[in-house]
Amino acid sequence: MVEPISSHSILRIEDLHAHYGKIHVLQGVNLEIPAGGAVALLGRNGVGKSTTLRSALHLMPRSRGRIYFNGEDITALKPERLAGLGIGYVPQGRGIFPLLSVMDNLTLGLRSKPDPNILDEVFTRFPRLKERLSQKGGTLSGGEQQMLAIGRCLMMSPRLLILDEPTEGIMPILVADIRRTIQSINQSGVSVLLVEQNVKTALKICHQTYIMEKGSIAFEGASADLRKQPETIHRYLGLSLDAA
Amino acid sequence: MDLVFALAINGLIWGLIIALIALGLSIIFGLLDIINLAHGDFFMVGTVLAWFIVQSTDNFWLAFILVPIIGLLLGAVIQKLVIVPIKGAAALSIVATFGLSIILQETVRATFGPAPKRLLPPVEGTIPLFGIDYELYRLVAAVISIICLAAFFLFLHKAKLGTWMRAVRHDPETALALGIPVQRIYTITFAIGFGMAALGGVVAAPITTVDFRAGVDILPFCFIAVIIGGLGNLQGTAAAAVLLAFMEGVITAFADPVVARIASLLFMSAVLLVRPQGIFAGATS
Ligand SMILES: Nc1ncnc2c1ncn2[C@@H]1O[C@H](COP(=O)(O)OP(=O)(O)OP(=O)(O)O)[C@@H](O)[C@H]1O
Ligand SMILES: [Mg+2]
Repeated sequence: MVEPISSHSILRIEDLHAHYGKIHVLQGVNLEIPAGGAVALLGRNGVGKSTTLRSALHLMPRSRGRIYFNGEDITALKPERLAGLGIGYVPQGRGIFPLLSVMDNLTLGLRSKPDPNILDEVFTRFPRLKERLSQKGGTLSGGEQQMLAIGRCLMMSPRLLILDEPTEGIMPILVADIRRTIQSINQSGVSVLLVEQNVKTALKICHQTYIMEKGSIAFEGASADLRKQPETIHRYLGLSLDAA
Repeated sequence: MDLVFALAINGLIWGLIIALIALGLSIIFGLLDIINLAHGDFFMVGTVLAWFIVQSTDNFWLAFILVPIIGLLLGAVIQKLVIVPIKGAAALSIVATFGLSIILQETVRATFGPAPKRLLPPVEGTIPLFGIDYELYRLVAAVISIICLAAFFLFLHKAKLGTWMRAVRHDPETALALGIPVQRIYTITFAIGFGMAALGGVVAAPITTVDFRAGVDILPFCFIAVIIGGLGNLQGTAAAAVLLAFMEGVITAFADPVVARIASLLFMSAVLLVRPQGIFAGATS
């Protein structure tokens, strides 16, 4: 028997290990997202943030570890089932299908006709997408692609949205837009797990922060506390908050 | 001149049929990374099944319906038994599908015997066409092929399953995260690939010999079409198949079929040298 999961955790990653070939990339990652909460996962380049997301989402093989979603053990579930449970994932680099139309990208995960109400909600949030529905995904700007990637998850009414560096390669003036979008999605009741290089943005969005170092979690705490510890930020992320 | 014209039209129609088969080869390569050396034999199995069904029921149109369906089923079973275990390793795919090719040929030979067979066209008679009496069934075959080609592209671009296939081809991991059953899409794609080769087989059966070695000749032709059309470019593949068969048809009027095939190979080499992305690059699906 596994110990009972606290009912207020939407995602729990337990002792996650993963390898690329012989390289032991994840060495026991533990992470928990409270239902309705927003959690940041920070860390320098190459510490294993994306690998944590990909192996937690069954997109690559795990060597060890258990994953719980909303109290249910989903470790052995087929990977294509996770989206249906309510886990939305925006991969690093956005994962837009360049040759599919914006509309096809948006509705790709749906098995039936899109719900017009949800479609309207997404268009209200991202009016620029509505103007470009028949355009190919690859012709959108970076910022528009990011909106498309988020909108595509929203079409499936997720309970948890996982974003891997959504502001990477986005023009600085659009970064605040994306931040507000994620905040407003979180306020609408969707839990958020955010991987970010942009520490300032991440701390603004997320209540809780994890910092990874070489394949495991090195720091865990409230974002408000972390903001008061510039030396921790400097030690693990190699930067000061002002410069970030 | 009449002969040249007839052979050119023959080539054109043959090209339309080959386009169906080559598209099957191309989607299997594009999605599963499998170099399918048994693809010609999938076509051959289609011709033999057509012959067998017409022998037993005397109904070509029944064969026309049943053969592609049997092809789909065989494709799904073979994907699970032969393709899944090699896990997309290109070198293994060559060995495995070469073995599959031998198994299919020898099974057909052991079951139906080594002698080539003929199948009478379901539509008899000729039609005057620019001064020659042209076999009516060949025109019917052309129309059927064009309809099937159009249906294939419509499916690929309008049906959810077709869109999923295009998505999986581009980025299987993101597709999976969006809830697309990627493994099942692989099985379905291989099944459709076999189904299309078998469809080509049943349409071609009345205008070719039904022979357990028929796939050996078709396979290189399909590969040449896929390469000239541009790897993974489906419209290009279809266009190249028609172009090549037309060219071979015209050349056959003046020279040996071997010369025609050499011309195709030279054409392919030239394309690989000058435009390795294929002559129809740009119109990607
Ligand atoms: N497909 C792969 N094959 C082999 N090694 C890989 C692969 N993907 C990532 N790695 C390695 O695994 C380690 C962790 O990579 P990962 O992508 O998880 O880092 P990350 O924290 O997301 O970095 P970034 O901030 O640059 O995106 C790195 O050392 C990386 O080089
Ligand atoms: Mg990363």
